[in-house]
Amino acid sequence: MAKYILKRIVISLATLLVLITAVFFLVRLMPGDPFASEKMPPDVKANLEAYYGLDKPMIVQYFTYMGQLLKGNMGYSMVYSNKTVNDIVASTFPYSADLGIRALCFAVFFGITLGIVAALRRGKPLDYGCILIAIVGTSVPDFIMGSLLQYFFGVQWKILPVAQYTTWKHTILPAIAVGFYSLASISRYMRTSMLEVISQDYIKTAKSKGISNFRITWKHQIRNAIMPVVTMMGPLVASVLTGTFVIEAMYVVPGMGKYYVESISTYDYTIVLGITVFYGAFLVICNTIVDILYGFIDPRIKIAK
Amino acid sequence: MLKRLLALALTAALTLSMVACGTPAAPAEPEAEGPKTTFRYSELSEIPTLDPQMANSVPSNTAILHIQEPLVRMYNGVIEPGAAESWEISEDGLTYTFHLRDMTWSDGKAVTAQDFEYAIKRLVDPNTASYYGWFACYIKNGTPCNSGELPLEELGVKAIDEKTLEITLEYVADYFLQVVSNACYVATRQDLVEQYGQDFAAAADKNVYNGPFVVKEIKTGDRVILEKNPNYWNADQTKLETVEIIVVANANTAVDMYNAGDLDYVQVPSELKDLYADQISEFFDGSNDFLRVKQDDPNVPTHNKDLRLAINYAINRAEFITLTSNDVYAANPRYVLPQVAGVEKTYGEEYPLEAYPVNGDPEKAKEHLDLALAALGCEAADINIELLTTDSEGSKKQAEVLQQQIQSVLGINITIKQVPYKDRLKMEADHDFELVFTGWAPDYSDPYTYLELQIGNAFYNYGGYNKDFNGNVVENEYDKWMEIAQTTTDKQERMDALFEAEKQLLEDGGIVPLLLRRVLYMKADGLQDLALYFLGARIDFTRAYWA
Repeated sequence: MAKYILKRIVISLATLLVLITAVFFLVRLMPGDPFASEKMPPDVKANLEAYYGLDKPMIVQYFTYMGQLLKGNMGYSMVYSNKTVNDIVASTFPYSADLGIRALCFAVFFGITLGIVAALRRGKPLDYGCILIAIVGTSVPDFIMGSLLQYFFGVQWKILPVAQYTTWKHTILPAIAVGFYSLASISRYMRTSMLEVISQDYIKTAKSKGISNFRITWKHQIRNAIMPVVTMMGPLVASVLTGTFVIEAMYVVPGMGKYYVESISTYDYTIVLGITVFYGAFLVICNTIVDILYGFIDPRIKIAK
Repeated sequence: MLKRLLALALTAALTLSMVACGTPAAPAEPEAEGPKTTFRYSELSEIPTLDPQMANSVPSNTAILHIQEPLVRMYNGVIEPGAAESWEISEDGLTYTFHLRDMTWSDGKAVTAQDFEYAIKRLVDPNTASYYGWFACYIKNGTPCNSGELPLEELGVKAIDEKTLEITLEYVADYFLQVVSNACYVATRQDLVEQYGQDFAAAADKNVYNGPFVVKEIKTGDRVILEKNPNYWNADQTKLETVEIIVVANANTAVDMYNAGDLDYVQVPSELKDLYADQISEFFDGSNDFLRVKQDDPNVPTHNKDLRLAINYAINRAEFITLTSNDVYAANPRYVLPQVAGVEKTYGEEYPLEAYPVNGDPEKAKEHLDLALAALGCEAADINIELLTTDSEGSKKQAEVLQQQIQSVLGINITIKQVPYKDRLKMEADHDFELVFTGWAPDYSDPYTYLELQIGNAFYNYGGYNKDFNGNVVENEYDKWMEIAQTTTDKQERMDALFEAEKQLLEDGGIVPLLLRRVLYMKADGLQDLALYFLGARIDFTRAYWA
């Protein structure tokens, strides 16, 4: 097991290194430059390039950056001139993560439940109801879902606040908007995989042994059917927790999503890189945890490795 | 095993969400009885910095002008005493002497002329790398000091004593008082800059303040909270106790928040114009959009003056505005923003001009086209011109309307090229375009802020107006008028010369003027004396109060 975990960690670190290197050079190869502005005389541009070290050869910049990164220093933003990426991540990630955890709890709880219920009531109205929710959830994009929720619950019926992220009431609508897509896909995976398990011989065996229905579902069906859902949890956790630009902008959540999208259009190299590194590291960690979790949930993997 | 795992996961999720619950800020205290004293408005993007010399955006400038006191203040376009109680201008118009009033920073120290001298030198210092470093070009040696050719000691700024600041100019600039009313010219404390380095002004306690408000809190990505400064020299005038500047990246959400009573002032996207027609007001924000035209390249047919004029007459600017902006913007048949100051009234009132009819003039367009074709020796269908613009939806629509209008009147071909905004700016500065959709916001209220861009050897003359194919400036009328404007001290003569220059530019088809941007906004009932202007702090709430 220890060897397996160690191997996963080494692969993860290598992935990160490749990611950082690729993004570092790609972002500098984008046409245009970060200091392009309506009012930018050459002297001022030269000053700015010297200040941010962009006048040095790219390879020197790369090693400087990597050196700083090893010290945990992701550098100053080129737009928010007195903020570091570390500051920005430290103050915005908690909000994105908070929203993400709420959305995830909502999605996992209802997604799994709906999937199980649909599978157990296959072909019945309840199943069709669950399928409908799954189809709506996967096909309606989050910005439509977000605006509809905001319009009806916030503006029209005035049940919940329109925007801003202050009290728990403010968190309900954005959490649903962010979580709905995940809910739908979790329930679909869960349903499919439950149906597969239900028709297995060992379920018939269990039934013929006279085990109660509840015990069969809980002990034999869910446990075997949950694997695909666990697989998708890694990337899902990473993407939901690191912020969603559209919903955060719509509900005025001071999260990280905005910086990620904005920094690409403003060519803010430091932020693009910093947030990619952060997101990449987070994704890699989540995937590694999932890989390790497999070993616990499914003994076959532990033995195979 | 699974049960235990699930239980563990659930506990972890619950704990995490409880921890996270603590993160969101507590809601603002509900208003107590009595008159309202809080003002809340939104910005589409976060205020990039509150460091005066690093500021280069409207949100930064607006906030800084409320927390620091410039030498003189511009309120609704009128210059008023600020940190300087009085000032003298020498007869040759080149030396400005400011006499500072007694006022203090929020930590109790006196505001001195040295603080201003340090700030202006910091703005120019190449090591500061300020985006607005060029904005000291009016000051003696401003440009060479900014490029590092001359040491900062050579800059024409000097604190004579604690209360007297003397600034020497490079050339006569009638608008210089407006220049010093900008955010990047406010005083800055050397000791704090040295103490905090690049983190200076990054948090509320990493700077001190001397304006009508002080910064109470900066919440990254969320909001900036200001509080009345009781020690401000003119504190009696400040009626608001608290101001919240909230980042709302989605313009429609901002309108919803306004309707829910969460904002007191909001800008309305042009699509919602009809929906809120009865509540909307508008003001010109100073942005002026036009096309730059390539004129110094033999391979680009717009080097022909008649072709440029044909394009200018072919465009129906009134129709263009209706189709692209729902009539929110205003058609502009001239180059200079008409709202800038003239001698007594606004420039537009004193020097009206409709260089090209707003509804277009197809007849005249065709006349010029015929002349152009004769000179170029080709058919209309042989002419291909590329129109460069930004990759947003709005820009696409604007480019398509122009393309359709020009093609249908002239029969020449216009192709549209869309690139990201920053890329467009770079291509423009690299002179890598034929026609480019661009714009200019004024830095001070004077026609010169626009006209200086088109001077033959000006850096911003990207189109190569008055240049030959080798890039040399040819002898021309425009530069002569501009020379007069830059040397005379007679206000009327100067303004006349600027107007002559503008007319000349348009007679030469040097640019293609298009539109003036207007901002639609709504503000809460009872909010009084909120000043909206096209320069400096676009939203000025220094004197706002609730009735």
